[in-house]
Amino acid sequence: MARSGKITRILLKKDLLFALYSLGYYGVLFVSFFASSFILKSFLDGIREEDILVTAFPLNTYLSIIIIIISLYLVLVSAISISREKEQGTLETLSYGPVTPRSFLLAKFFKDFFIGIISLGFTAIYFYLVSSLTNIGFTPGLIKALVMGVFLVSCVVSFGLFISSFTGRVRSSIISLIAILGAFLVIQFTYNSLLGIEKEALSVPLFYIRQTLHYVFQGINWISPFAFISRGLDSVVLENWPLFFTNIVYCIVYSVIFIALSIGIMNRKGVKA
Amino acid sequence: MKKTLLGILSLLFVVFSFSVWASAEPPVMHEQLVYSLTSFNGASFSKSFCPANEETIYFIADQENVISPRKTIVYYWPITRKYMAGFSTLNEEMAGKFEVLQGGKVISTLAKQTYTLYYPKGYWSEKASVYINDSAREYFQKYKAAVDQFNTRLKQYYESMTQYRENFNRFLEEVKKRREAGDNNPLNAPVPKEPQPPEFVEFYATELTEGFIIKLPVGEFEIRLRADDGTIIEGSERKVVVFASRRQGGTGYEIIPGNRWTKKENCDDPSWVIHAVGKNELYFNPYRQDEYNELYHNKLEDPQNVGSIERWKWIHIDPIDNIKVLLTHQQAILQAVDKEPYFVKQIQGAELGYEIIKYDDDLKQKGYKPTFESYKVILDENLPKTDYAISTVQAENAQPVPQSERTLRLLKKDKSLYLYAIPIFPLIVGVFMLLSRKSRMEK
Repeated sequence: MARSGKITRILLKKDLLFALYSLGYYGVLFVSFFASSFILKSFLDGIREEDILVTAFPLNTYLSIIIIIISLYLVLVSAISISREKEQGTLETLSYGPVTPRSFLLAKFFKDFFIGIISLGFTAIYFYLVSSLTNIGFTPGLIKALVMGVFLVSCVVSFGLFISSFTGRVRSSIISLIAILGAFLVIQFTYNSLLGIEKEALSVPLFYIRQTLHYVFQGINWISPFAFISRGLDSVVLENWPLFFTNIVYCIVYSVIFIALSIGIMNRKGVKA
Repeated sequence: MKKTLLGILSLLFVVFSFSVWASAEPPVMHEQLVYSLTSFNGASFSKSFCPANEETIYFIADQENVISPRKTIVYYWPITRKYMAGFSTLNEEMAGKFEVLQGGKVISTLAKQTYTLYYPKGYWSEKASVYINDSAREYFQKYKAAVDQFNTRLKQYYESMTQYRENFNRFLEEVKKRREAGDNNPLNAPVPKEPQPPEFVEFYATELTEGFIIKLPVGEFEIRLRADDGTIIEGSERKVVVFASRRQGGTGYEIIPGNRWTKKENCDDPSWVIHAVGKNELYFNPYRQDEYNELYHNKLEDPQNVGSIERWKWIHIDPIDNIKVLLTHQQAILQAVDKEPYFVKQIQGAELGYEIIKYDDDLKQKGYKPTFESYKVILDENLPKTDYAISTVQAENAQPVPQSERTLRLLKKDKSLYLYAIPIFPLIVGVFMLLSRKSRMEK
């Protein structure tokens, strides 16, 4: 057990340093902060003289934008992390040594998780600078959202690793990820469109499709990490502490389940691409 | 795998196309039993109806509400995603006895009662009370008598006005005659005095109407309508959720920005921050407020409304009077303002818009009434762009009103261009990391 933990730490350190020395990561942070600044600037320009804005969460919308962009990056990085090692044959080489699927996957999870936490650290600095520059409140609501962000990052990373665990090649991982996230979006969009139609005006097949989509949509709400992001950030704005902690527990349970599933799949599928 | 994914996406596309096609159909009309509701919302009464698809009706505990089962035409309006009632086409009152049940047992049977809604400060005011039976008739008669009295005074006013115009014309002719005759001495004849129009009745009472008056404690109930032959009328069964406020006695503000007096803002919770650019005229109206569950309260106002059961919202109950509103900065009082009347004056000409001016004697003499009363706080454009506080104290003893403090932040808009510079800092960190790695590898 202690040996496995040591191997995880070694792999984690190697991967984390590799990620931190890549300029792409900082590029993503730049893009997310720039998108936030662009919208924030337009918003500030929109507040004319004599106008007011009353809110307890003046920066939370911009934090959501940043979290979504960082999450997209993390889910993509996680989704290719195992398949890339499989494709390059590194995983096979490692498997002849003391590296088990469990230690390997935990190392990958914590690497991406720490990358996420470091991103949230950068985000906190970004908002502190924004607040100092514009005097928009750096409120307790923003700190709460950043804390929630840590758990949301774990959901995103574990979902990405899950996708990566059942695909053997980088290209398959990316296609699977886009297809799954796209299907989630299409189902949500179609279900919302059908909701706009009166029940009596629906033909029988459409009615059953709507009912089916309702159940599928409910299921997606517990599978999609982006549904967790939406719920988690909502719980901050709702100012409801029990709901906030419940969402944290949900995120932890989600991450544990998906990591366990990923380990199981890796054990079954083996280390070859 | 690719084929399966393509298949799923194609199916979803077809479903979506069908949904767009189906939404273009004209609305289908249904005749159904609905409940017309006049529900107490914490401060006044909300009017709505509960169509057949809504299973639950919401009320505030220990308050009288009016519920009236009616047969009407109902159709679905996709734009608002709500059912609409065509009461002007069909509005048939349903006969029968109204039963309230709890745990499957009938706890009360109600008969219809006559009621009126009484608005002490007029129909458009925010407060109203419901009066039943004899009290309802008394209040409605009081209103009717006041309207009759007003009509009599109005008739007298028109007669006086005709008389006044005649007298004024005679007076002008007299002046003209004297001037033409070369008489430049002061005119000793009195100038006719213009009569003042009578004030309209300040209060208002609705027409006497019949409905079931329902007043229940906190809990869950069922309701239904029993026909005279003893059968339950189909479609009359509903659940009723009766709820109470979570917190009472908070202080909330309604803020009227000087540039848009019709679009008021609320600042109801001490955690809410008021952000302003500076050069503002803000009109604050403090209210005593109670906090209700958002879903329940939204559904009370209209059973088809949506809301979140996890969210709570403050409802303004009564304005707080005999106070002063303070603008402070680090304990120093910058402004202490009293309530004053204001008048919204339309700007003449092509400019369009309006200005808010202080209501004075001149406006009073011209017969105008104040548009609103409020506490005006002026934020000068030269005020340092930092944090301030708005709070309320009792006018008599300067004691702070509980939970009345709010933070007011003046935004530094002039530096907003630098927002584009901040995102560069992760890139700087990234370059530093790369360089440090490179130098370490070289060593």
